[in-house]
Amino acid sequence: MPLDTSTYALAHLRLDGRRWNELRHLHAQISTQASSDGSSYLEQGNTKILCTVSGPQEQRRNAPGGRQQQAGAGSDTEAQIVVEMNLAAFSSTDRKKRARSDKRVQEMQFTIAEAFRGTLFTNLYPHSTITITLHVLSQDGSLLTACLNAATLALVDAGIPMSDYVSAVTVASAPSSDQSLDEVDPLLDLNGLEEQELPFMTVGTTAAGTGEGVEGEAKIMVLVMETKVQMGRLEAMLSVGVDGCRRVRGLLDDVVRTQGRRVMENKIS
Amino acid sequence: MAPYTNIPLSPAELSYLHTSLSQQPPLRPDGRSPTQFRPLIAETDILPSANGSARICFADGTEAIVGVKAEVEKSRLAHTVPSNGEAAGQGVLGLGKGSARDVGDEMDVEGDESGGKGRDAWLEVAIEIPGMRDDDALPVFLSAMLTEALLADGGLKDRLWINSRFHWRLYIDILLHSQALSYPLPLLSLTTHLALLSTRLPALVSEKDEDPLFNDDWEASTYLYPPTTTTQHQKPPVTLLVMSVGATILFDPSKQELAVADSVLAISAAQSSTGELRMVALRTIDPPSRLTAAGVPNVLNTTTGATGAQTLSAADVLAMREKDQGQSVWRPPRGGVPRALVAKMIKMVVERGGVGEEVMEGLANVET
Repeated sequence: MPLDTSTYALAHLRLDGRRWNELRHLHAQISTQASSDGSSYLEQGNTKILCTVSGPQEQRRNAPGGRQQQAGAGSDTEAQIVVEMNLAAFSSTDRKKRARSDKRVQEMQFTIAEAFRGTLFTNLYPHSTITITLHVLSQDGSLLTACLNAATLALVDAGIPMSDYVSAVTVASAPSSDQSLDEVDPLLDLNGLEEQELPFMTVGTTAAGTGEGVEGEAKIMVLVMETKVQMGRLEAMLSVGVDGCRRVRGLLDDVVRTQGRRVMENKIS
Repeated sequence: MAPYTNIPLSPAELSYLHTSLSQQPPLRPDGRSPTQFRPLIAETDILPSANGSARICFADGTEAIVGVKAEVEKSRLAHTVPSNGEAAGQGVLGLGKGSARDVGDEMDVEGDESGGKGRDAWLEVAIEIPGMRDDDALPVFLSAMLTEALLADGGLKDRLWINSRFHWRLYIDILLHSQALSYPLPLLSLTTHLALLSTRLPALVSEKDEDPLFNDDWEASTYLYPPTTTTQHQKPPVTLLVMSVGATILFDPSKQELAVADSVLAISAAQSSTGELRMVALRTIDPPSRLTAAGVPNVLNTTTGATGAQTLSAADVLAMREKDQGQSVWRPPRGGVPRALVAKMIKMVVERGGVGEEVMEGLANVET
């Protein structure tokens, strides 16, 4: 949303016509590639991610390019999680071939690996590596979010035991002319334009609870904020974000169940 | 380039495959006819931020996604001597602008200014294979082959000309999504062809040599390869993998069939304005069969207790193998391909109603 704040205050509609708490169209498919252990394809608005998971498999020797051990403490007690993120040159508006050692990409890879280290039962697979490869085909905001969601689906498809899904969403603070106002709408699920203009954060949660599904208490696995926002707005943003994650988790769960139903029908008929 | 070397087939299996494929008609392991392709899934226009895009999945699980993006770039003035020694109109690869004259009457009517002005440097092909670095042999070789085929007929670079001061720079980025289970060249070529067919460039609003100005309305954009209803339209080239076993010619070879090939060719064909296909590039590929191990004749096989290895001299052993000529014991193929067979392979791709036309028609019918 441009810094011209009056447009939002008038009708409380964002540039793409959404209200403050509306998610973009989320479409996901699981098991898209037969040749890999687990795969998924996720679209959140115009952000499209392809994810494949291979593993747990034998420890790979380090590539000559020297990829440092990521998020894998003590490989003789638990599996190591390696995340590779690959931004296609045609993914953004300008064609840009990214270097391998892009710091922003490396940081996102680390964040994703850490998030899953908390949910996957890696202690069941010592001396192994789980590799998550993410191909970004098109990015229009909420990149880390979409990567986490896509990786969750692919890990479910690969059959790696986990305690819960990791679902993520971005939240921003709507612009207002009066900077001191604390009662400002937090905006859910940002697109590319909004991400450039507004302070935002990425929240990723699980819903690990007492086994009653989504009724349990959510645990925050990922919380990334690179911009500045007033302290008073933070709590509202966080609660909207956590609620948004719950809704995304419901959508991801639907995708998994649909696939499961399809598999069962093929076997039974 | 060296193809994959890990072919897990024994000499007996290789011999069996070779014999079945040499029959007339050949018996392929999956029962296909010699010109039948395996089923594939194709879709176009999948990327909203790219000028053109396509995705093709082959039956063996390999998948490729291609995105085409175009950017306006300032042209180097014609009278300055280029530092890389590229002569005007000859192009980096020295393929000349002669073939640009074969471009149909439509292009000439638009004005002689657009004929033969394209430069090879305006096209950039980049291949991304996960798990390989950008300067590994395979990505570099494949991108060189695809660039060669795209530039060979001269038509593509001429379409990128805007006016004498500006031109379009076309970036074709290919993502080979899965591991290269078999030689990926035909998959990448077909996907590139499909992506180029769906590529659109913004409509030019400015005139002559002034700074280019384009129509904001994307609906007004023009196709890079306009799908006209008349027969006079040009299509981007397509590269097919053709192999021969004895006198048999096979298309879309699977991994097993490649392991016993006598020769493997990559033939690139492009469609000219008259609707005819012409071959624009041909490359021989080292058949992986050369890297297989030869079988051991029973007489020499010490594990069965035969004493031939001790009693026969080296000259006798050699004579025995030469007389056999791979009939009863598998031997990696030696020597080249008969010229007549190469000609026949090219003809099968390029002729009217041949495989090349079939493939192009199939791709043209892919709905967005």
